Formats: sequence, C-alpha cells, structure tokens
Amino acid sequence: MRQPAAWGASACVGFARACVVVVVSMLVPAVWAAAVALWIWWGADAWTWIAPFIWACIGTFVLSRPVCRMFRSLVATWTDTVIPAGYRQAGPVTRMSTGYWWNGFSYERTRRDALMDQRMRIRWRDPAVWRDLRFMGIAPITAGVIAAIPPAGVAAAVLGFSQPELSTRLIGVLGLVVAIAGAPYAWRPVEPVAVRFLRPSPAMALADRVDELTAQRADTTVAQAAEIRRIERDLHDGAQARLVGLGLSLAIAEKLMETDPDQAKALMREARAGATASLTELRELVQGINPSVLNERGLIDAVRALALDSPLEATVSADVRLLLDPPIESALYFGTAELMTNAVKHAHATRARIAIDRDGTGIVVDVEDNGRGGAGVRAGSGLDGLRRRLAVFDGTLEITSPAGGPTHVRMTVPCESS
Amino acid sequence: MRIVVAEDLYLLRDGIVRLIEAYGHQVVATATTGPETLDALLKWRPDVAVVDVRMPPTQSDEGLRAALAARDEVPGLPILILSQHVEQLYARELLADGSGGIGYLLKDSVFDADQFIDALERVAGGGTAMDPAVIAKLLSSGSSSRRLGQLTEREHSVLGLMAEGLSNQAIGRRLFLSESAIGKYTTSLFGKLGITDDDNGNRRVLAVLTYLNES
Repeated sequence: MRQPAAWGASACVGFARACVVVVVSMLVPAVWAAAVALWIWWGADAWTWIAPFIWACIGTFVLSRPVCRMFRSLVATWTDTVIPAGYRQAGPVTRMSTGYWWNGFSYERTRRDALMDQRMRIRWRDPAVWRDLRFMGIAPITAGVIAAIPPAGVAAAVLGFSQPELSTRLIGVLGLVVAIAGAPYAWRPVEPVAVRFLRPSPAMALADRVDELTAQRADTTVAQAAEIRRIERDLHDGAQARLVGLGLSLAIAEKLMETDPDQAKALMREARAGATASLTELRELVQGINPSVLNERGLIDAVRALALDSPLEATVSADVRLLLDPPIESALYFGTAELMTNAVKHAHATRARIAIDRDGTGIVVDVEDNGRGGAGVRAGSGLDGLRRRLAVFDGTLEITSPAGGPTHVRMTVPCESS
Repeated sequence: MRIVVAEDLYLLRDGIVRLIEAYGHQVVATATTGPETLDALLKWRPDVAVVDVRMPPTQSDEGLRAALAARDEVPGLPILILSQHVEQLYARELLADGSGGIGYLLKDSVFDADQFIDALERVAGGGTAMDPAVIAKLLSSGSSSRRLGQLTEREHSVLGLMAEGLSNQAIGRRLFLSESAIGKYTTSLFGKLGITDDDNGNRRVLAVLTYLNES
C-alpha cells in the first residue's frame, strides 16, 4: 500500500516539475511563435517580417539570462547539482582626481553613465552570452520536448474523453497511461542537459583564472615592494645609524685615550651598549623577515615556539611530518602568528588550539580560540591581507566567528610535496 | 678549565678563543660543523663547551643537536649555547633532562667579558646560565602564568634572577637586599610553587625551570 502511494506522490511531483520545465524552456520559442503570428496577421508579405524578427531577437537576448538563471536554480533545488554561473563580474567604479568616473573601460562624466557603460560592455563582451543563447536553442528541443510528454498525455486524455467515438476514447486512455507512466521521469533530462551546456566553458574558466592570477600578481608585487621599503627604512633609521654612532664614539675614544682615559672608557662602554642595541634591532628585523626557528626547524616547531611565547594558553597538535616549500611555510607561519595576535588583541581570548594536519589535497592549519568572536574579512583588514597572501598559493581562509565566540579559522594550502 | 669552542664564523670563533685565553683558561679544541662538534665533545670531554646553535652543513640547528647528542652520551656534560636569538623551545629542550651544566645565552653576552666568563664558570660548575630574555619569556608565557600568578612582584624578580643562575648573595646585590631577605623570598616562592627546599642552589634553579617546563 505504501509503495503505490509513494509512487503516486513522485508522479505528482514529477508532473508538476515537468510542467515547470515546459513553461520555462518554451518562453523563448513562445516569443518566436508570437513574432510569426504577428507577421502572418500583418499579411505575411516579403517585407513585413523585419519588425517581428527584430523584436524576437531582442526578446531572446533579454530573456536568455533570466531563463538560464531559472534553469540553474531549478536544477540546484531539485537535484542539489550546483552549476556555476560564470558571468563576468563588474569591477569597481571609482572617481578619479579629475572628477571623472573610471569603470575599467572608459571615463564617464557621471557615476550613472559609468555604470551603464560598464554594464553594456560587460554584457557584450561576456562569452557567457553566447553560451546562454546556445542553451536557449538547445533546451526546448531536448529537456523541453521530453518534459512536455506528461502534459501532452493529459491533454490527449482530456480531448479524447470529450468525444463520444470509441477510437478517440482509446487515444484518451493511451494518453493517460503515457502521462502517468512518464510523469516521475520526464523532468529528469533537464539536469544532464543543463550541466552539459550551461557550465562555464573551459575557455571562460581559463579567462577567469587569468584575471584572478593577474590581480594576485599585482597584489604580491605591491606587498613585496612595501616590505622591501619597510626593511630598508628600518635598517636605515636603526642599525645603520647606530653603527655610525658607534664608529664616532670609538674615534673620539681613540683620540681621548691618552689625554682623558676615564672619558675614553666611558665612551667605549657607550659604544658597547650601542653595539648591543643595534644587534637587538637587527635580530628583531631578521625575526620579522624569516624567524630563525622556522628556518632551523620548519613550520611545526616554529608554531610550537610561537605558542610558547604567546600570552595565550596555546596547545599545538601536529602528527604529520611536513616538507613544505619555504614560501608556503612562511605564509602559514605568519598567518598563524597573525591569528594568534588577533585572538589576544581583538577577541581577548585566553586559550587557543592550533592543529596542523594534512588532508588529501594539502596542508590544513586550524586555529581556534575562546575569545568573543565577531571576526570577519573586511577589505583592507589584516584577515583580508592574510586571505590574499594564501591566495597566491591557491590557498583559502575560512572563518567562523559568531558574535560571542568562539572563533575558528581554517587555512588550507594545496600542495603535492609530502 | 679545558674548553671546546664550536662556532663556524671565523671572526667570532677567534674572538671567543682569545677572550677565554685572556682569562687564563685553555681552549683544547675548536669545531666548525655539527659533526665535528659532536666528535670534539666526545673525544675531549671538556670542562665546558661553547657551542653555536646554527652551524654547517645544514645551517639549521646542528650545534644544538650535537650538544643534545653529546649530553645523551655523557650526562651532565656542561655546555654553554650561544645563539643569535633565544627561543623558549630550545631552552626547554636543553633543560629537559633536568641535570645541570646548561647555559643558553645571546651572542651579545660576549660583549661583557666578565659576565660571560662568569657564566661560563657557573655552567662548568654544574649550574645554569640562562639569558634574561629567555627567563622573561618563560615567566610571561601563557602556559606557566597560572601558578606563577600567585607570586608577588618581588618573588617574580627573585625567581627570574635565580633562574639566570645567580646565587642568593648575587641576587641580593642586584636587588639591593640582604642575603637573608632573599632566603626568605626563595623559601616562600618555593612553597607557593610546591617545590621542596634543598641546600644545593643549582638544583633549586633547575627545579624551578623544570617546573616551568612541565607546567
């Protein structure tokens, strides 16, 4: 008893879905049918077809994107298959110092113009437009036609039973059988068709990847230049200046050695203090560039050392042996250091748990604290910088940080080395 | 004293040897790589060795490893580690075996020749000589702060100086207090840390550091 009921339910759901697929996939053909009807109504002569044809073309173009969106969301809700859209994203529109607005393509006098121009250009240049139009042609004659079988069967049944002759009644029964038998399955071809033809093409994915990498390269170059400037400034203002002072003190001490040995001694003591101070500065600078433990022992021990020095009660768990490329190691180390600093400074945490592990594709570093939470990636924030640093290695940063805590951050970097 | 010096940079090695010899001690061997250091330590079994952390061939922590390996062979072999930077992690590894004769100092410490030689002699005598930077980190790190939180500020500074390896008398001089007052502080802080008192100063320091190590 239960089985037929379940089958009946799935038949009803299938019938409804088939009807939805038919309606959605027939929107564009309906526009064309309307255009043809208009042409016939106008008299179907040699020239009157032009206006309906243009209207149909514009209608197809305007409808293509919303219809494709509908297909994607239908497939996502019915089958859990998410098809990436792959549309080109608009960049930011910024006001230049001249007062004009730059939208990535051209300068416009007002923000509204800049946005309109940008939208038009992106729409025209987006390869996804051609993919969508192609799908508009394919969907009705594949998924649309198959999904139309149950509604057509029902229509045949209604028509057949309204006539008294036996032969039409027979057709009606046949239509009913076809409708009921096909209902649970008729909507299903929509998934493979959508997956096959609605996915971003490899060329589009490649173009997106190139854009992404170009942006990353620019980011990295800027960050590197800033870092080098910082190091230069620190050396110039710190250790270098101190060493000059040291040389001066020693020169004066040399001069005073015979005439005033006491002052010479004092100066030499000062010089020694200066040497210690410049060493301290250099040490800090070196730690900032490349921490010695990281150099000497690798990521796991470096993170252990970090945990020891942290005011947090931090535990580090790592059961793996890692052999990572130095840049990846360094990015993960400084990432962990930043997360721990955030936990102390912003989240007021007292305990932290760090787990370093490897999964099938790469390295995973989890940092969890018991702070007050509320952390998020805002443009220009430290976490945003961290995300970009990891992105250079195709790494990701995931943050769960509800207000009130706890904060859990996961850094992953894919790598093949073991 | 018979001393082994392991340091790969010629200038620094030469300077340290001269300094040691200027104070009337004897340098029996020098080493420039990790394996050489281990060989020299095991062959000469010096009264104390001065060892750099980072050495060839790997330029990682070869020196530290050689020192730890030598102390595995010869328990209590006195070793003074000199490093360009101080790491709690390394300090804890050195102290892990709980026996004395360990020093861990920044290379800058050779600037003050008297104090450096003093530290060297302390280590040779089975005591400890920890860099103040290490002590500060040990005392401030999160993992040990809970029980240390019970200490008063004065007891904190006494504990820090004691961990550096100073005697009660020397601590008294540094803090401008009498030796008996320092004695009272040490007794009370040992009570708070749950360490039974002992006459041997070095062992007390090690007890403190071991406690920090385990907490």
